[in-house]
Amino acid sequence: MTEHTLAYVLRTIAIIGAIVVGVVAIYQVRNDWKTPGLDIQVSKLLLALMAFGCVIVILSSWGIIGWQTKGY
Amino acid sequence: MTAASLGHEPHHDDGLALYREVADIRLLGFVLFLISDCILFSSFIFAYLYMRNAAPVWPPTGVGLPDANLAAVNSIVLFGSGATMHFAMENWKHGTEVKFRRWMVATIILGALFLFGQGYEYTHINATWWGSTFGAAFFTLTGMHGFHVFCGIVFLIILLNQTLAGVYNKKQYFGLVAGTLYWHFVDVIWVFLFFLFYVW
Repeated sequence: MTEHTLAYVLRTIAIIGAIVVGVVAIYQVRNDWKTPGLDIQVSKLLLALMAFGCVIVILSSWGIIGWQTKGY
Repeated sequence: MTAASLGHEPHHDDGLALYREVADIRLLGFVLFLISDCILFSSFIFAYLYMRNAAPVWPPTGVGLPDANLAAVNSIVLFGSGATMHFAMENWKHGTEVKFRRWMVATIILGALFLFGQGYEYTHINATWWGSTFGAAFFTLTGMHGFHVFCGIVFLIILLNQTLAGVYNKKQYFGLVAGTLYWHFVDVIWVFLFFLFYVW
């Protein structure tokens, strides 16, 4: 497998994985939206940030953001 | 005023009420611990930002930047473990212990896979801890995070053993809540580190 093909495969895995995990995280936040309790509130905040991380991974793997697009 | 002085035997619910009161205090303490850990990471991140801003050229000459594609997959492994941990907790709340254990084991395996990926990257990156400001910041921050992941895996294994030993029940499971919050916290710290070292 060439370096270019490997990079393509890794990017594809990352994008698909990020979509799945991001959707799951948002769905869980939505499910717990009205549930009271400090632990649930902290959990929701952390899950939302995790979903944000998935967005960053998608954009980075897609080549929209990141130093790889700058040609370093 | 105790239950005995009121003329009736101490009831099981009295123990549960006491547990809830103590659990609230412990939860607050645990959240404060997470905030203090957040400050620890923040101080290292700001040190990195300061060094980066002060450098005339970035990345420093001769330094090979890490592979963002591999890191993206590794990130998804870690974020995926956050999702499996959440499923484990949900299953515990709904009383399905077998599924809880399966998700917990999945979380531990994914956490270990993340550490393996991190180790692979350490052995292949063209930078050293002492060679440049980038290398120093990269190995310090990702190493500190990796140590947190390692501690999290040990924490989860202990929790799994405790559930097998019957330490927790459907109403009293503060340890599992703490474990879930800690694992999500470790995931979120990685979001920032991924952005700093692989994207920005």
